[in-house]
Amino acid sequence: MTDGDRGDGIDADGPDDGDGADDAVAAADGGRPPLLLSVAIGFLLVLLAGRMTTCASAAYSLLGVGFCYDPFVVYESLFLGAFGDVASDPLNGQLATTLSETTVLVFTGVAVAVAFKAGVFNIGGQGQLVFGALASALAVVAVADPVSGVAGTLVLVPLALAVGALVGGIYGAIPGALKAYADANEVITTIMLNFVATSVALYLAGGPFKDPDSFANQTRALPEYALFPKALFPGRADASLPALALAVLVAVAVAYLLRRTAFGYDVRTSGLQPEAAEYGGVDAARTVVASMALSGALAGLGGAVYVLTIAGNFQTGVPDYGFDGITVSILAGNNPVGAVAAALLFGVLKSGSIVVDVGTDVPPQLVGVLRGLIVLFVAMPEFFRMIGRRVDVRDRFGGSRDAVATDGGEEA
Amino acid sequence: MSAASRLRERVDGLGTRATVALGAAALLAVALAGAVAAGAGDVVAAVLGLLFQRSTLSAALRLSVPIAFAALGGIFAEKAGVINIGLEGLLIVSAFGGVYGTHVTGSVWLGLLGGVVAAVLLALLFAVVCIEFRADQIIAGLAIWLIALGLAPFASKVVFGSKNSATVGTVPGLRGLVANSGLPFVATVGGDALDALAGIPFFGALFDASPMVYLMFLAVGASWWTLNRTAFGRRVRASGENPRALDTAGVDVSRVRYAAVLLSGVLAGVGGAALSLSLGQFIGNGPTMVNGKGFIAIVTYLLGNYNPVGALLSTLLFAGLDALQLTLQGQDVLAVPRPLVRTIPYVSVVVVLALFGRTRLPEAAGEHYESGEE
Repeated sequence: MTDGDRGDGIDADGPDDGDGADDAVAAADGGRPPLLLSVAIGFLLVLLAGRMTTCASAAYSLLGVGFCYDPFVVYESLFLGAFGDVASDPLNGQLATTLSETTVLVFTGVAVAVAFKAGVFNIGGQGQLVFGALASALAVVAVADPVSGVAGTLVLVPLALAVGALVGGIYGAIPGALKAYADANEVITTIMLNFVATSVALYLAGGPFKDPDSFANQTRALPEYALFPKALFPGRADASLPALALAVLVAVAVAYLLRRTAFGYDVRTSGLQPEAAEYGGVDAARTVVASMALSGALAGLGGAVYVLTIAGNFQTGVPDYGFDGITVSILAGNNPVGAVAAALLFGVLKSGSIVVDVGTDVPPQLVGVLRGLIVLFVAMPEFFRMIGRRVDVRDRFGGSRDAVATDGGEEA
Repeated sequence: MSAASRLRERVDGLGTRATVALGAAALLAVALAGAVAAGAGDVVAAVLGLLFQRSTLSAALRLSVPIAFAALGGIFAEKAGVINIGLEGLLIVSAFGGVYGTHVTGSVWLGLLGGVVAAVLLALLFAVVCIEFRADQIIAGLAIWLIALGLAPFASKVVFGSKNSATVGTVPGLRGLVANSGLPFVATVGGDALDALAGIPFFGALFDASPMVYLMFLAVGASWWTLNRTAFGRRVRASGENPRALDTAGVDVSRVRYAAVLLSGVLAGVGGAALSLSLGQFIGNGPTMVNGKGFIAIVTYLLGNYNPVGALLSTLLFAGLDALQLTLQGQDVLAVPRPLVRTIPYVSVVVVLALFGRTRLPEAAGEHYESGEE
């Protein structure tokens, strides 16, 4: 049986097949109702919060009741604020923030999607990202001195990316191996390993590798030439179009890998029908480890990109990119190309939450609530379908089940 | 794979015996780690000495409360066929709800009730989504956690102006409750008796704990009784093992599952409120003060094979490790840096899962049940 044959087989039967681009569109469509419902509930939450707090004069009133927060202003800041004043300055700082956040989120979103396709729920993207970020920062600091200038960039950026991917991959392979060979539930182990990664990174960045000139727990700053070039965006803006291009490229490459290669076939069949995959000669255990390693490598790559674009060194308190990656992936129906669009949405939310924080009294944690609501509503396509179509909800933890259930959003 | 599953089969059914053996192994590992780190026998002795200090048991009991209550809640939900991976989220909202309730009412006990209400509301959302709208339970549970992770700090910022709440009252200790009970005989004689008992080395901690600790023991017993000796318990178990049989017997499976998930909200709510009200503050930075306890709770009941007593024993094991970790941080016995010591409970969860990963799940756990399916 050739690889092509096997690929055709799954193309005929797989519930989520078709062209990658079509999938992306379908996923974006399916994500819309949950998104709108989340926004609506967020609206109510802002109103409710506006009643719980006290203020001199109501910012917004509805039916004669005054509220301290105006939800319209909040959402305007959240969604439009993220783009800054594009009309007068298309390369403004806020848009740069949005794009740089998007870049990292593409990596973590695709990371979660790869594991999902294999029927593994990688919640450890955060830990893998943290270790990838730390390792890449340390690697660059260790070897930065002899090289400099453009040559330095050409050497150091790929080096940092490779180290980040390697370390993230190893840290992702651990829960993969534990699941494959010891039946340890990956949901729990990856969450635990997140806590471990945060603590160990705190120790390393606050102890042996601490920047001696800083009070914060962070490593030495990377030299400018070791960072991603900030093509187009001027000054302090941290967006790097080359980095964003790399992210999109990686997403497309992963989509190709999953759809057109033997490995991708193994991954997808393991996710859809583990028993059938095993019967068909797929080494299930190895596929789980490999897909978790790949997932971890992508998250680690995201960590390296975070260091090379946004942070400029490793500092403790890395934002929740790993957890946002789960939402990005689920919203995109676990489609790597769709994850780019979902990542942009989340990049807007993350960047917009800064505008909300600065411009209104509403706590920016609102975005965290929206993130959870979106995941919840995407998980219940039945609610949107409203028709009692039978849905096959099966086993616990992973298997094809999660993938199928989340893919259900595409049909909503 | 096959070798691993054969090992599993042998491991299966060991139940509490496994827990005890594991406890010994874990202690040994900690002691060994100590010996390696410092390369000295007296350090091992010092760690063991710490382990059997009264304050360590006291801390272990205190730290057990949220984990044990969440684990009990998880047992009910999962026995009924709904895997509640959102326990962490329930703990987070109830931790905030407890502080908020206390802040508004001025009473710790009403605050506790507030925490329970918060957790039950979130559990209700989870139940509706899973039972009514057939959501994937794992993803929905994860969403519950993410929602709580955003909602509690959000609410804290709205109410208190910061992710960490203002300080409110704490749950008084047993000694204080007895002394202020207003009953003349109980206050004096009972108080003296407690003082005497609390003086016992090591085990004295059992007589000088928060009322929540005693409530925890009570809840474990009551949960075991409910699950194994009552009609409701039989229905819960049937709903998870063979929902069709339960349906055939004329019992509404959805109602049983709703009841079980809401009960998990009540139990986790008590645990979360007890956590924040033992400190008198909600801490909402990073992963919040709950910090993975809900996930550890899941591991404890898997390890305890869905038996409330087994879950309590494995909870005490994890809480004991956590207490030891806290004590190690406080006293410079080991040269291991603090952030690394802090990973002990999490690493032990991973190790335990790797060793005893597979437990026999209720047959229908994670599956949606539709009455009238062919």
